[in-house]
Amino acid sequence: MTTPTFHDQVIAILPKLRVQALALTRNRAAAEDLVQDAVCNALSASGSFIPGTNFAAWMHRILRNRFISNLRKRRDTTDIDDVPANTFATEASHEDRLALKELGAAMTRLPADQREALVMVVVHGMSYEDLAEATGCAVGTAKSRVFRARRQLEAWLMGETKERGTARLPSRVARVSDRSDREDSIARL
Amino acid sequence: MKHFKMTERKDDKPAGKPNKQSHGTDSAFDLWLNRGLHELFDDVMKEPVPPELLKIVQDDKKK
Repeated sequence: MTTPTFHDQVIAILPKLRVQALALTRNRAAAEDLVQDAVCNALSASGSFIPGTNFAAWMHRILRNRFISNLRKRRDTTDIDDVPANTFATEASHEDRLALKELGAAMTRLPADQREALVMVVVHGMSYEDLAEATGCAVGTAKSRVFRARRQLEAWLMGETKERGTARLPSRVARVSDRSDREDSIARL
Repeated sequence: MKHFKMTERKDDKPAGKPNKQSHGTDSAFDLWLNRGLHELFDDVMKEPVPPELLKIVQDDKKK
């Protein structure tokens, strides 16, 4: 089996870069621009990549640095509504879709570093060690970002006022969440 | 598996906050969150890469 070339590795990681970019920018067009910029940076800096080291972490770090650099130039945030509807196109029921939309909206309220960390761990299946390397932080910080993102989303989506029966949101999320849990329990039988 | 009720039903006792012990990653909410994030982002992963992006890489490879 031949070792993939530098360029093969760049092409292979593009889908993950697009997800990372969307998690950071919350905007489809901005995400595409960010990926393109990061790829150009990576191609220019290909000489600095040491073969045999963690290419994914190297590439994700380039994209992240580019995002930060862009942010410094132009503080600009947009709404998740900018994400094309097909991002949310699933076979889910109406209630599931509404819950997902609420999740999407809540995601936009998270700090970018937490949003990025959560997506890279959950969607990419990235280890905390790799996340730490890709984002240039300590492993403990990476874990903390994911943990805080989860708990913040839970607080927003489940509502802190649930005990008073006035949960602002989600009976819907709660119902979907509860159903998922039951299905998991059944699947394990 | 830790479990707590998240629905409000007629027979519920006055609902408290979810059990603090649910704050691992295997609570009902976390499982739902994991699925939800995949629903939101998996489609992006599956989308074809824009041809112009591929061209940038391929053109660089030819250099």
